[in-house]
Amino acid sequence: MRDYLFIAAALIFSARTVNSQIIVKAPLSPRITGYRIDARLDVSSKTVNGTMEAFWVNKTNDIVPDIFLHLYMNAFRSERTTFNREAGWKPGNDSSLFGRIDLKYFTLRDGKDIKSRIKYIQPDDNNPHDSTVIQILLPEPAKPGDTVFINAGFVTRLPSRIVRTGYSDDFFFVGQWFPKFGVYEPAGMRYSTKGGWNCHQFHERSEFYADHSVYDVRITVPKEYVVGTGGMLMSEAGNDTKTKTQTWRAEDIVDFAWTAWPGFAVYTDQWKHVKITLLIPKTRTEQVQRQFTAVKNALEYFEKNVGPYPWPHVTIVDPPAKGSGASGMEYTTLFTSESVYKLPSWFHILEMTTVHEFGHAYFMGILASNEFEEPWLDEGVNSFWEERIIDHYWGENSGIIDLPMIKIPDKSESRIGYVHSQSRQVASNKEFSWNYPHESYGMLSYEKTATWLYTLMGIIGEDAMNEVFRQYYREWAFKHPCGKDFVNVVNEVVKRIYGDKFGTDMNWFFDETLYGTGICDYKVEGFTNTKGKTSSSNKGKADKSVSMAVADSSQKAVVRLERDGEVMLPVEVAVHFSDGNEIIENWDGKSRFRDYTYYGKKVLWVRIDPEFKNRMDINFINNSMTDEPNRIPERRFSDKLIAFLQLLTSILTL
Amino acid sequence: MKIFNALDTGMVRSLKVWKGILITWFIYLSLASTVALPLKAVLKEGLGKSTIAERLVTGIDMDVLTDLGPGFRNELHYFYSGLLIIILIGFLTNAFLTGGFFDSMKGTSQRFVPAEFFGSCARNFFPFTLITLVTGIMFLFLAFLLIALPLSSLLSRSSTEWVPLLIVKISILVFILLYMIIVLVADYARAWQVMNGKASPFRALGFGFKTAFCKLRSTYPLMLILWIGNTFFLVLSYLLIGRLKPATGIGVFMLFVLSQLLFFTRLLLKCWRYGSVTALKEINEQLFRADKQQDANQ
Repeated sequence: MRDYLFIAAALIFSARTVNSQIIVKAPLSPRITGYRIDARLDVSSKTVNGTMEAFWVNKTNDIVPDIFLHLYMNAFRSERTTFNREAGWKPGNDSSLFGRIDLKYFTLRDGKDIKSRIKYIQPDDNNPHDSTVIQILLPEPAKPGDTVFINAGFVTRLPSRIVRTGYSDDFFFVGQWFPKFGVYEPAGMRYSTKGGWNCHQFHERSEFYADHSVYDVRITVPKEYVVGTGGMLMSEAGNDTKTKTQTWRAEDIVDFAWTAWPGFAVYTDQWKHVKITLLIPKTRTEQVQRQFTAVKNALEYFEKNVGPYPWPHVTIVDPPAKGSGASGMEYTTLFTSESVYKLPSWFHILEMTTVHEFGHAYFMGILASNEFEEPWLDEGVNSFWEERIIDHYWGENSGIIDLPMIKIPDKSESRIGYVHSQSRQVASNKEFSWNYPHESYGMLSYEKTATWLYTLMGIIGEDAMNEVFRQYYREWAFKHPCGKDFVNVVNEVVKRIYGDKFGTDMNWFFDETLYGTGICDYKVEGFTNTKGKTSSSNKGKADKSVSMAVADSSQKAVVRLERDGEVMLPVEVAVHFSDGNEIIENWDGKSRFRDYTYYGKKVLWVRIDPEFKNRMDINFINNSMTDEPNRIPERRFSDKLIAFLQLLTSILTL
Repeated sequence: MKIFNALDTGMVRSLKVWKGILITWFIYLSLASTVALPLKAVLKEGLGKSTIAERLVTGIDMDVLTDLGPGFRNELHYFYSGLLIIILIGFLTNAFLTGGFFDSMKGTSQRFVPAEFFGSCARNFFPFTLITLVTGIMFLFLAFLLIALPLSSLLSRSSTEWVPLLIVKISILVFILLYMIIVLVADYARAWQVMNGKASPFRALGFGFKTAFCKLRSTYPLMLILWIGNTFFLVLSYLLIGRLKPATGIGVFMLFVLSQLLFFTRLLLKCWRYGSVTALKEINEQLFRADKQQDANQ
């Protein structure tokens, strides 16, 4: 009985603290869930022993009979879990490779044991060996306004092969480590037609979905360990000669992860109201400034073009080589970057990863879309912004390799990845993440999305595109937007700026790109310049461009354009004449072919989409034609190749 | 002093064989063209009459190159195969031509006569091929041991990140130092071979090893000077050719001329090495004979 009183008192206390304001001035989110966790890292057994007090508030009008929670760490429990099956991974007999979460106890606020009510379910694939989702039938259904408090004790065993989470030697990255509520979606929210929990299993090709929460987390580690989390450090106390306990708090974030390693050096910097903390291996001091510059650039660009960064803190973790499996992952106010010792300054993997992972604070953190079901809305949109930021701050066409002789632009990587993929048409973007066939998840959700977003920006302009995202932020920050919400925002903003210039809405664009599987390929089939008398029938057939030309019976030019792909997008066509004049035709791109006829002029060259705005086009080469192609690059290439081969042969022979 | 005499003599002798260098240059130009010109044609065909080539004026454009589609992939395959063939043919050609060069570098050689040059090439082809093959295998073995293995340690989960990199750096340094000794062995062996006349490549190699190690104190600095000069020139050539981006027809022609001049100079520097090592060998022999004579007189 005394125990029950203690637990009840603790829960009341925790409910009060998780609802109070410590970091941000006012709650940013509805705070449907909250967690208070006491975790102890045992570095010898590679386990985290935890106790957790958590709540879920029924803010819907539904009577909810159960609660759903993720036990993500069970994805590593055996080789037959959904995660490992999808990865095709067979850990063998090495027990260190397995990870799991074991629940020691599970009670309600009143101490009532509900562990026996736990049911392992597999909503996605009915795999009986997967135990990453649990359903607990409540003794009493949660009525509208009710709060369900749970109290759990758990032991999380970390796997030695880090796949986002795990350990390597003395490096620990602790993610997806505690029992975590799914998201209850009432009818009308996102695509729900009736109320229910959205709680998917842990898939190899998927990320996550959660409500914004408040976290109060006490972490006990050996004294020499440096800890980094997505929260702010509230206090630190030495327990004895061997361990220390740190109390961290995070508000309105969707996930709480942490890392511990004795080899970290800690650096801090400030950008406006944001304190930036960097945890980096001690040997990589020369990369400290690069990391800070990257995250500050991202902060500035996002604030200007999307919306303010609401938290006063962000933590970058640059894992050591042995913990590289934890690299490139986001947990809202903490993210992991990627680099190596002595990373050359022309190799921008660090900048790209930092900008990208930080970007998830917006597309996933603030705009908390469902990454299981619509990965494009997070990864694809974020890739688009990453590429824009890299272009803006590191120079147009900057990217992973930035050498005077060779550049691999970030935005080209996306386009090339999509337009030259053999699987570019196997699915649309409207797939659950684990359902993308033929290893197309990354290509379609990241690369195709970034490519069609660039194309959309080419159509509506950069200012309108930025306004779309500002509006998206204003409407959906700290909520759970879905694809149709984003489309609605685009429709609303484009209508506001352009009226009906692009039609009554932009759905046609999304039908072609987001929801379609077709490819886009416009080409100049040819053009002719002929001399001879113009017949009246020709004049009759000629399009509006004829009226722009001065009638000259001796000269006639015909430009022939074709649409080889299924995707129909409006394109500009630049036609350059021998007299130096140039006109821009606007082709709606719908018909399979389009001819333009001009009288009294001789065409020198034709270019469809002269500014390469339509990055969906799978072949830029056939977009233009001239009678006098520039052969300089070929000749130069040949000269250099000959010299290169000569010198190489002279080196390799004695 | 001995070293500078050898370098000086080597330079004079290498300049004397400029016709041979010209022949070598032409052979290598033809060889490289067999790969580069078809690639150029593929590129021309792929780009067709498109104006997109303008995006290549400022340098490599990944969008354009990949949009070449299967043509680009075929081009890459062709390039890799071509590169391998060029290296193989280059190896044999080099074994052939160095016979003529080393023969022309002897102190007793008179002015350059192409017929004699090719005669020496043919005469020494077999022993020179064997010498090059043996030293080539030694290079490969050393490269595996001192570069490939340490590089693989970079991928290991070492707790201290700087250790594998330091190991790699030290290994590369050791490789360079040993590389120069092997070059010395090969050069001494070939210089001995042309003087010996009879084809005995293994005896030549034996001589090469013996001389390289016995006279290491005097010959190693010579090789170091030559290696630094050659390496500096090569890096400079690569940077210059790589960075130049002429955008006009005459500019491209000038690039061709410049790149070929650089390659000609590279060949001249290589011959300088042959000449210097040969001269040093002769100086050492003269000194040895003089010492012997002095001993006999005493």
